[in-house]
Amino acid sequence: MWSGIAVGMAFYVLFGIAPAAANILVSFTNYSGLPGSPTSFAGLSNYSALLTTEGPGFVSSLTETVVFVVGVTVVQNVVAMVLAHRLQGDGRAAAVLRVLAFFPIVLGVTVVGIVWLLLFDPLSSPAQAVFGAFGVHSAFFGSNATAMPLVIIVQVWQNLGFTMVVFIGSLKTMPPSIYEAASLDGVTPWRRFRSITWPMMAPAVTVNVLFAVIGSLTTYNLIYILTDGQFGTNTLGMLAFNSAFGSTEDLGLGAAVTVVLLVVAVCIAVPLAMVLRYRERRLLT
Amino acid sequence: MSPSSSTQLRNWRRVWRLTTAILIALLFLVPIVYVVMISIESPNQFLDHPLVPPVPPSLQNFSSAYQQGDLGPQLVNTIIYSVSAAAISTGLSLLIAYPIARKLIRFSSWVYAWFVIGICLPLPIIPLFIESRDLHLYDNRIGYILLHVEPGLPLGVILLTAFILGIPKELDEAAWIDGAPYLRYLRSVVVPLAWPSIVIIFLYSLLAVWNDIIGPVVLLASPNLFPVARGVYTFYSSNQSAYTLLAAAVMIVSLPVALLFVVSQRQLLRATMGLR
Repeated sequence: MWSGIAVGMAFYVLFGIAPAAANILVSFTNYSGLPGSPTSFAGLSNYSALLTTEGPGFVSSLTETVVFVVGVTVVQNVVAMVLAHRLQGDGRAAAVLRVLAFFPIVLGVTVVGIVWLLLFDPLSSPAQAVFGAFGVHSAFFGSNATAMPLVIIVQVWQNLGFTMVVFIGSLKTMPPSIYEAASLDGVTPWRRFRSITWPMMAPAVTVNVLFAVIGSLTTYNLIYILTDGQFGTNTLGMLAFNSAFGSTEDLGLGAAVTVVLLVVAVCIAVPLAMVLRYRERRLLT
Repeated sequence: MSPSSSTQLRNWRRVWRLTTAILIALLFLVPIVYVVMISIESPNQFLDHPLVPPVPPSLQNFSSAYQQGDLGPQLVNTIIYSVSAAAISTGLSLLIAYPIARKLIRFSSWVYAWFVIGICLPLPIIPLFIESRDLHLYDNRIGYILLHVEPGLPLGVILLTAFILGIPKELDEAAWIDGAPYLRYLRSVVVPLAWPSIVIIFLYSLLAVWNDIIGPVVLLASPNLFPVARGVYTFYSSNQSAYTLLAAAVMIVSLPVALLFVVSQRQLLRATMGLR
């Protein structure tokens, strides 16, 4: 028993906890990915480089991150909530649509990314045909004006099914007797949602909002496929990746961006979790 | 309310339900149908009228994409990586989750808390890259598999702990007292009881490895070791305007997971509904 736990924990510490902590160490060095270059202690220079104008565009990256996180969190949860109400039933059509909505998660970011790049190809694609018919021509993922909204849409499209299924799971646990009592009292559908469904879904809202915030803050794999952080989609995660593995191979700088990202994530996620928990308790009592 | 207005209301409701169902279906089907359709169009057909279903359909794109993209060996790589990493990850999750759930170790809630933290941490890819080079795990199959075990652990431990807590203690503890060796006891008593949840965790880790794109970009350099995720992305980068060929490549790469999903969708969705 102990050896089983030890092997498992060894993996977890060696490839999970230790590298996460090592990020902080690496961020104080000039560690380079190019072979043969010496590594030395660099103090806070990576952090100060972030704030200078010659730096990798840290300040604009912060605003782009905020737009992405807020956009994804709001759109994903609102649309998933609507879909969950429409598709919670036991009917065959609802069951098929639930499975369909879940499918993009299975397909994975690379396939989903390429599919949407094909759909919005600026030269020949359905989007080009539709917008071209109205005389509108855009580079879509290659345009500063449209890249970010499109990236948000694809990110939401991919994760919608998961968010929706979590909401449906929560809807399914509600005792039907409450709704029967409400319909006997002649309560309108909106009031029924406001005063019964919404409060009882509070725990599912907590899970989904936290997943959406943490997920959109830290993951950048879809952005890597769609734009590689160009055209105003350079979120902090993308910036960290490209600082470390782009042409400069500056692992120290990338680690510094990751540390900032982690601090931002903790500063948002912990108070948010507390607010959502408080809301749950207030709504459920 | 008069009878006629109530039937009218019912009709309106039926129209509303049908419209929303069609809209939702379109939202998820249009991208997929488009890719399926152009994958069976010849390049000339695509140039003339891309949005018209092709008559006759051509399967030329599939064989070209399969050969030019080197997709066969990459699919084999992907299957090796994802099945072995997911199997090790699921096994280790069980080895950790069972003692936690049954409180067989001290500080079990403390150990559990570490995995909850782990689920929120992003993959520390920069230190992992340095580590993989120092430990000779960079750019080789064994290393790639070992590096992909850890990401599945937090979710695996948390979900399996929850599932094992749902199994009545009496069912497994009686056999434990008989003094069977721990591993054999786990295999013959606990694994059959927890089998449905073990399958779910295996599937989730398998999908994570299968669909990982950052890992193959950072941790692999030799093209013959590439999994399909990186292979198809490289193929995209060098054939950006060969739309029909790309569509076929995307379909070849997705077919195995799509089949797996069709077989397991019921269990997968039910397990996800349990997350509240």
